[in-house]
Parts: sequence; structure tokens; C-alpha cells
Amino acid sequence: MRLFRQFIWRHLAQEKLRSCATVLGIALGVAVVLAIQMTNASSVRGFEKAIETVAGKTSLEIVGAGAGFDELLIKDLGWLRTYGQVSPVIEGDAEITLADKRSESLRVLGVDILRDRSLRDYQLRANAETQTASARQFLQLLSDARSVILTEKFTRKHKLNIGQTVELTFADKAEPYTVRGVLKDEGPARTMDGNFALLDLASAQWAFHRLGRIDRLDVRLKDAAQLAAAERAIAERLPAGLRVQRPARRGSQVEKMLAAFHFNLTALSYIALLVGLFLIYNTVSISVITRRAEIGTLRALGATRGTVLALFLAEALALAVIGCSLGLLFGRVLSFGAVKLTATTVNALYIAAAAEPPPLAWQHVWIAFGLGLPLSLLAAAVPALEAARVAPTAAMRGSDHLISRFRLRARYVVLPLCLLAAAWWFARQPAVNGLPAFGYASALAIVFGAAFLVPAVLFALGRLGDKPLFRLFKIEGRLANANLAGAIPRISISVAALAVSLSMMTAIAVMIGSFRETVVYWVNQTLVADLYLRPATRHNVATDAVFSPEVERIVSAHPAVAAADRFRNFDIAYGGGLVTLGTGEFAKQEAHGHLLFKAPTGAEAGKAAIRSCIGQDAVIVSESFALKYATQVGDVISLTTPQGDRTFRIAAVYYDYSSDRGIIVMDRGTFTKYFGEPQATSLTVYLRPGADADAVREDLLRQFGSNYRVLIYTNASIRQEVLRIFDSTFAITYALEVIAIFVAILGVATTLLTLILERKREIAVLRLVGADRRQVRKMVVIEAGLMGAVSQSVGAGVGLLLSLVLIYVINVQSFGWTIQFRVPWGFLAQSSLLILLATALSGLYPARRASQLQTAEEVVEE
Amino acid sequence: MIILSVEDVRKTYVGGETPVEAVRGVSLSLAAGDFVALMGPSGCGKSSLLHLCGAMDRPTAGRLRIETADLAQLNDDQLTKLRRERIGFVFQFFNLLPTLTVRENITLPVLLAGGDVTAAERRAGELAERVGLTHRLRHYPQQLSGGEMQRAAMARAIIHEPALLIADEPTGNLDSENGARVLNLLGELNRELQLTILLATHGAETAAAAQRIIRMRDGKIASVETTSAIEEPTPRAFV
Repeated sequence: MRLFRQFIWRHLAQEKLRSCATVLGIALGVAVVLAIQMTNASSVRGFEKAIETVAGKTSLEIVGAGAGFDELLIKDLGWLRTYGQVSPVIEGDAEITLADKRSESLRVLGVDILRDRSLRDYQLRANAETQTASARQFLQLLSDARSVILTEKFTRKHKLNIGQTVELTFADKAEPYTVRGVLKDEGPARTMDGNFALLDLASAQWAFHRLGRIDRLDVRLKDAAQLAAAERAIAERLPAGLRVQRPARRGSQVEKMLAAFHFNLTALSYIALLVGLFLIYNTVSISVITRRAEIGTLRALGATRGTVLALFLAEALALAVIGCSLGLLFGRVLSFGAVKLTATTVNALYIAAAAEPPPLAWQHVWIAFGLGLPLSLLAAAVPALEAARVAPTAAMRGSDHLISRFRLRARYVVLPLCLLAAAWWFARQPAVNGLPAFGYASALAIVFGAAFLVPAVLFALGRLGDKPLFRLFKIEGRLANANLAGAIPRISISVAALAVSLSMMTAIAVMIGSFRETVVYWVNQTLVADLYLRPATRHNVATDAVFSPEVERIVSAHPAVAAADRFRNFDIAYGGGLVTLGTGEFAKQEAHGHLLFKAPTGAEAGKAAIRSCIGQDAVIVSESFALKYATQVGDVISLTTPQGDRTFRIAAVYYDYSSDRGIIVMDRGTFTKYFGEPQATSLTVYLRPGADADAVREDLLRQFGSNYRVLIYTNASIRQEVLRIFDSTFAITYALEVIAIFVAILGVATTLLTLILERKREIAVLRLVGADRRQVRKMVVIEAGLMGAVSQSVGAGVGLLLSLVLIYVINVQSFGWTIQFRVPWGFLAQSSLLILLATALSGLYPARRASQLQTAEEVVEE
Repeated sequence: MIILSVEDVRKTYVGGETPVEAVRGVSLSLAAGDFVALMGPSGCGKSSLLHLCGAMDRPTAGRLRIETADLAQLNDDQLTKLRRERIGFVFQFFNLLPTLTVRENITLPVLLAGGDVTAAERRAGELAERVGLTHRLRHYPQQLSGGEMQRAAMARAIIHEPALLIADEPTGNLDSENGARVLNLLGELNRELQLTILLATHGAETAAAAQRIIRMRDGKIASVETTSAIEEPTPRAFV
């Protein structure tokens, strides 16, 4: 310990800049991993927490096959009471308009309060007059259909009082409601951080346009210990079209749905950590290089090889402990940004989730240190072993000054080729549990293949670069090239680390660029309707908000409207996860729509397939559904309907980039036959020739008046909206990459510093034979730029390969989308210039250090 | 013509807590074609004096001129320019740049000064022939023997036709055969090119190659001897 303090700690304190750069590198690496873990947790956890708090003491729930089920079925389920208390529930989202005209989302629970009190703890804040809050009071409060109970937290925040009127929007309709009571912040009142409202069951059915239907029956078992047995027994007795599940199941379905999205983010976050670890390697290497004589002295004085090894591992450990601790803090800060960046995607494409990361917990400390420390030690092992091998005599004499020249051996080419072959094999393997594990193995093999290829590329540059660099930069160019060629073993790792980051950047840019082009093409081809309508509270496909019949009537009756395709969708359980079941009017789709079909190919064949579905038990499915569940045209899938399990033939597979969850669409007639008359969740409107879309939009909004809240997109604005969501989805990707590249450039700077310390004598000689400070600076900056150039060339080449894996393997297996491969040349050119500039700039400090070296001492005093 | 003129030069280092006076009032003068050896035990100030004479460092006091340039008046860039145009260096550990070939090492001073590549390479070829390294021009330093490395360093030291050659223990790391060869070469350069040489050494045999031997002790010149290597009377050293 004492030796550590004297030999390592003081040295780290002296080398403040290098120590800080390393700590920063590790901290950022750990922070990015943590931030992504927290972000992923926040979306799933937020959803699960909402389920838990709303669920209360509910042990089991009975759910229907479609969007809820007919309340008449309840009377046939009287036997359920032998298992415990039963309560029918309506659950949904509404918007409350506040005094300042801003609106907030509320999770709304509609229950039969007398029955439900045994399932959930509702504590009313004591009324000022009666000082009590009883069931009787609840009843009184809810006897008026326009009554609502809000939470203490919400009313306090927005200064609302009992008796005050608030405006609530359910689906498309805004109505005034009176606040009749305030729930204490306990039980369900903690849902969505207090953004919770309680309604009477009948009021909720009316408000959500679900008259005669309930979403589910919550069951509190008499004997909670008999959960599994009761679940089995109830499942056996339930009629067709109903099933029993535990509340947590909804959470796990959501988790499964988000798994691919989260998996991809996690994989990306590890790149920053990888690059951070490289900095540890670099720093310990620098210590070993610059302190050979001291190590020799230690060895001569009796330190064993083990002691030397332990000392340098301890150096890595010290840096890693500080880095990981800082990483915890940075991670927390970054997670807020990451949640913000991913919230749009999660909310628009998957679920409504609370956009706040979870607080720091022991599990995060464990992730930070459990990952950071062992990996740091591993990274430091190579230079620490090198230190342990230093012979006392060799180090003392300084006779190991002369480096042996790098020789290109067969393994530098054979190993990368083997890895590329492995990558090819991995890329051809199927997904594992819906996750592209082999896809990532393939990407990893490519990345390592590229990393191992770096020495060979640097060797080639050393051989071929002299003449062009001499012509371009005179003698400084030649010297820089020669210096790099002489330091291949030292610089390979930093160049490889930067190349790996850049290759990911390139791959992602190519993937996103290609994806965007594909989506633009798809949008242009398929979004041909003139107007798109949805209820104002329907923020994502999972929100079950339907139009009022009056809205549908106004739209259909408008003289400029040629056709209005009423579309309805909701989530159904399929294959252990959730998919979207949709229904539209196929005759209108055939006449006006322009879906792009994957199978059968060709617009006419597609239209024929749509026609063939009308009046038949047939469906069309999205490409992601077909890929996820390995189905194709002609296959038969089984769906649970309120009338029991029914089979449907797949008539066509169409391209869809709006959601990766998988969509099954059937004609309205077929749907009505099995699920009942659907209410529309969106309307696609085709106008008569010559009608002005903007004018019709204004006219419709005027007719809806202030009571109905409907969002109407024109064709141009819906296209913009699609691309806005698309771009926001990938914002986080770029953010992660920028951090990784920043850390990698930090690595280049510290590597150059190492090289300079290692070459002190050579630089001094250079100064002696006539190089002025400016020439030395120029030489080092060229070296930095060359390292950047090699990294970017390798990165761009490998990035293109990686993008193929991303597009054709990982994306297909994760999301099930076909993307047309396109290379964004403009982006590549820009990023290449930027990287060259950034790396050259990173060489400025090392260059300054180099030019300030004292010449005489280094050379003459041997 | 006076190439190097040192008048009552002092050099004090103040790196630690107590200042160290390495050179304490040294005066000497070297004319064109002089070959002078500096001798003395370790710590006698010989290396410090060599730094000063090689324009690597500036004196604390006194006057030091190389040809017409007064070192005290020059800034860092001017010192660099002076070194690159008028001074050549040869060291005990050769100090060739390991990443450059022999030819590239030899041409380095000319190219750093912005000289013509073709001319520099032609001149490097001539010098390599002179020092017996024509067959080694494309090799890297690590592929050479110690003697060859030192000869390459000598070629590099004179490619820009300096007025003064500073040699610090040039034979210190060589066997006797190679050492003798290097000394012969230095003698030849001195005689044929009228190159002024200031050589620091521990070895009496090496010092014997010079025309004069200046012995130093405690930062001062202790004695000046003339050796048998003198061919014509040019002693101008004064204590």
C-alpha cells in the first residue's frame, strides 16, 4: 500500500491531465451504459409501476379477446365470486385542460366504487365539513355522471379545489366535470405520479364511448396463496373469448415489445465503454513506458515481478474506481437527456410511459463497478504484464531504447479474414428468441476483424505514404509518416478504437440514411389520402380512443368527402407478445388506397388480394408481423375472438414502417362478425377531385366546434409528422455515437502524448539537427491527422460492411423491416473531413508538449 | 577565421534548491580547421560547455560567438537556424532516428532547412560513399552495426557543410576497431574540409586524435595541451 502511494498515486497526481482524461473516458463509458439502462428501465418500469399501483390487491384479471368485452357476460360469471371479490373496470387515458390552457394526461379508472374498495385502497382527504370520508360519500360523489375524483398531489400542484369545474377530454370529446373529492396520495392515487382520476364505472363507459362494455374484471382472491391453482381453475371455466391473466403479464408483454428497441440501445452504449477501457490501457502503457528506469530500480532493489504487476494493476484500479464513481453521477445526468430523446419514440410507437429515469439505486452502483472495475483490470493487464517483464539491468542501462521495426506477419491478415468469414456465417443465422444475437455476433466479428486489420493498414501507409506525404507536407510529412510506421504496435490500439467508433457511426448513418429514404418512398407511395383524423387524446397506436359517432357522421356527410375509411385498431395478445389488430373498409382501400405489397408482388395483385378478403376469414399482415412470426401468404393464423379461437388466411403481406409490433388487418365485415361493430380510432379521408384539403380541414374543424377535439392532418403534414417521429427515434443513436467518438479522440490525444514521451530523445535529436518548434508541432499534428485518416478510412470501409449487417440482419430480426440500401455520400464526406479536423486538433496539445522538450538534456546527457 | 569564441562564459543551473555552477568562467577560441578535445572527469562541466558551444543552450554570463553570431542575442528560432546551418552533431549513442532509413537520416538537416530533395539525396550518396555506407542507404538504423551507425551520424552531421562539428564521446559506444575508424574519419574531415571540431571524451586515445586537448576540472579549464596530431601551428586557446 505504501509503495502504491509512493510509486503510483503520486505519479498519477503529477500527471494530472492524463489522469483526468482517463478518468473522464471511463466515466463517460460507464455513464452511457448506465444512462441507457436507466432509460430502458424507465419506459418499462413506468408502465409496470402504473399497472401495479392501479392493480392494488388484484390477483387476477379477466380480459376479453378484443377491446374489452360485453358487460352482459358478467352475469354468467357469478361463480367467480366463490374465488374472491370481483370488480369490473374501465381504464383509459384522458386529458385535463388546466386554467392556463395547457393540458396534461390523466390515467382514468372507472369502477363500481362499492365493489372496488375491497380491491384498491382509496383514502379520501377528509372533507372540511364532515371531517370524515366514507363509502356513502363516494357514492354521493359519483352519483352525478360528470363527477371526478382527482389526487391530492395533482390538485395541490394545479391549485384545484373540491367543487371546482375542470375540462376533461375523453377520446375526441371535451366535457366539463366537477371535482367531487380528493384522493390521498396512497394506493392507486400514486399512479402516473398523481396524474390519476377516478370515475364511476357508468360515467367512464359513457365518456370513453364504451357503453355496455368493460375492459376487464379484476379479481381479489380470498386465498392469495392459491394463486396458481385458482388461475388454472378459472381458466378452465371461462367461456370462449375470455381469458384470465395476472396483472403483471401486461408489463411483461410490453417489456417483450420493447425488447428489441432496448437491446439495440444497450449494444450501442457498450461501444462508449469499450472505448473508455482503451483509455485505461493507454494510460497504464504510458506509465510503464515512461517509468522503465524506475521499474528497473524497483526490481533491482528487490521488488518481485508480482509486486510490479500488482502496482500497475492498482493504478488501473484507482483510475477505474474514480471513473466509475463519476460515471454513476454522469449516468444519472445523462439519463435525463436519454429519456427525453427516447420518450418520443417510446410514446409514439409503443406505450405511454412516464418520462423520468428511476433514481440511483444499489443495482446501478453494482452495474457501474461490476462492469467498470473488472474490465479496467483486464484492459490494464497487458501493459502491467509488460511492466512485470522489465529486467532491472535493461531498464537501468537504457539499452532498450531502440525499438524493433514492426514486421508484417501473416497473422495480421489471416486473423481479420477469419473473423470476416465468421461474421459472414453469423449473419446467416436466425434470431434467438426474437433478438438478433447472431447479428450482433456478426457485427462484433467485423469490428474485431477491422481492429486486427489496423496494423496491416498502418504498415501499408508507412510503405506507400512517404512520397505523397512528402510532396504534400514536405519533410514534416515524411517524419510523421515514419514516426507512425515505427510505432505501429503502440498506435494500433488507439487507431483501432477510433476506427471502431467511426465504423459504428458510418454503419448507423448508412442504416438511418437508407431507412429514411425507404420510409420517404413508402410515405410517398402509400400516404395518398387527403386528410387523416384521430381523436386528440390518441397519442399512440396503443391508446384506445375512439371517435364519437357524431364526428364520423360529420365527416361522412361533408360534400367534399368522396370516401372516409374508418379504421379501428387495438392490441391483442399473439404469440406471447402484443400485436395490433386493425380493421378498415377494404372496398374503400381497394378503390382509393395505395398499400405497397411485399407479397403478392405488384399493385394489381395486391388489390386482388384485398378484394379476396372481403366477406372471407382472411387478413392482410404487415411485413414485421410476417417476419416475426415466420408467416407468409397462404398461411393460416389463429386469433382469439370473443366467439373463441378462429383461423384466418393470410391473403397478403404489405410494407409498413409505422410500427414494428406486427399488424393484422381484416375487412370491417369480417371484424364485425367476430368482434362486434367497431368504432373508429382513425379516419382516412379521400376528397372529391378539385376539393381543397386545407379548406375542408378548416370546415370540418368549424363543424366539430369546441366540444370535439380532433386532430386533422393534411397529406403534407402527416408526411412531416411521420418523418419527425422517424428522426426523433434516431436522435439518441447519434448522441451515443458522438460520446463514443469524443472518448476515442481523447484516446488519440493521449496516445500521441505517449508517443512523444517515448520519443523524447528522437524529438530532441530532430531539434538538434535543425527542426524548429513549428516544424515539430507540424509533424505531431500531421501524425494526429494521419491517425484520424487511417481510422476514418478503416471505419468507413468497415462501417459499410456493418451497415449491411444492420440493415439485412439486425434490423430485419429486431423490427422486421425491409430497408433499401443507400450510401449517404454527403454525410460520409462531411464526417471524414470533421474527423480529420478533430483528430488533427487533438494533436495540438501533444504537439505543444513536443515542441517544448528541452533538447540538450535529452540527447547529450546519456 | 574564428569559428567559435568563448569569453569568460558561465553557466548556472537553478533547477533544484541550490544553484549549480557547471561552467565557471571558461574562455577558449577555435579557428577554422581546429580540432580540439575536451577532457575531464564526470561532472567537470564538459557536457555543459559542449551544450553551450553547440548552441543548444545559452550562457548565464560571458560571451559566446559562433562565427559572427552572439548566442546571447539569439532567440530560440534563431538558435535553431544557427544549429541547422552552421553546426553538426555526433553523439555517443549515434542518435539516428530509428524510423528513417540511412539516406533519410543523412538528408534530414538539409530538408528541415527547406533544401532541394534531389540535391540532398545526391549529396547523401556522395557522403555515404565517403564513409563507406553506399550499400546501407536503404537500411534502417537497427539493421546497422554500431560503427556503421556512427558513420551514418557523421554523414548526417556534415551534409549541410557546417562550420563547427560537435562530437560528444563519438567512440564511447564502439569497439576499438570501429572507434579508430571513426577517429580517422574525423581527422580526414578536419584536414580535407578544414572542418572545425570540438570533441568531448574520457579516453586519452580518442583525445590524441585532436590537435589540442583542453582538460577541465570543477567547471574551469585546468590545462591546455598540444598533441602530436598538430600539422600546422594554429593554437589560439588561452586560459
